[in-house]
Amino acid sequence: MDWKKFFIAFVAAFGFIFVFGFIWYGKLMHGVHQEVPALWRPEAEFGSYFSWLVFGHIVMAFFLTLLCAKFVPAGGAGACARLGILLALVYIGNDFIIYAVQPLTTKILCGWIVGDLIMFGVAGAIIGAIYKSSSPAAT
Amino acid sequence: MNWKKFFIAFVAAFIFIFLWGWIYNGVLLKDIYAQTQSLWRPRAETMSLFHWIILGQAGLAFVFVMIYGSGFAGGGVAAGIKLGIMLELLAISMRFMIYATQPLPAELLVLWSIGGFIEMIVTGAIVGAIYKPAAAQTS
Repeated sequence: MDWKKFFIAFVAAFGFIFVFGFIWYGKLMHGVHQEVPALWRPEAEFGSYFSWLVFGHIVMAFFLTLLCAKFVPAGGAGACARLGILLALVYIGNDFIIYAVQPLTTKILCGWIVGDLIMFGVAGAIIGAIYKSSSPAAT
Repeated sequence: MNWKKFFIAFVAAFIFIFLWGWIYNGVLLKDIYAQTQSLWRPRAETMSLFHWIILGQAGLAFVFVMIYGSGFAGGGVAAGIKLGIMLELLAISMRFMIYATQPLPAELLVLWSIGGFIEMIVTGAIVGAIYKPAAAQTS
């Protein structure tokens, strides 16, 4: 494991995931989310939980980088983007289940699906472009 | 890709995920969900959307086997369990974000994560025992 490249890939993935999440889920989907206000924390309360959001992004970026580094040791934007899209599909399955049990609108579900695909696909590509181990056969 | 074993592994994983989801969320966590009723659809409404749960769980099982079968994770029960743990750690990061934005009790976050670990570890073991990829992906 090339820890220097791993760290750079992790920071880049975190930067992308955080900015993308803020724009996509926080800004572009803000109006759609507000169609079911009872599901979300009030703005004032959300401020005190913001650290959980940041921590979630850090953990996500770390394990996404680790998955790419472990399972695609040779790196490469295409192969890691493919793994990222497969991982997005896992969470899209979870989105379907949440849709069945929580009073989400179909607009929210569609927004989450598209967001998951873009976020994991692009983050995977970024990680793959940065992380290229010197020993591709290593597992 | 050995499609016969792929299909058997998918069906076995789906059956386990379905039964575990029903026992854990439908029976064991029933009282905790009742404490946060405003966050969930009424039972009758959830039942009318039950096909989304089936679709989500089938999708999760299918993509799990697909990631495993692509050779990303290597082969065998241990590799399946390793993949399951990695996927669950990524799912926990998602839960941190959900906890930051939705007024869920912290207890539910912890219980979801415990249940998620059990689900993903057993799913990984099942898939790893049934499906053995020809060779681990190296590119």
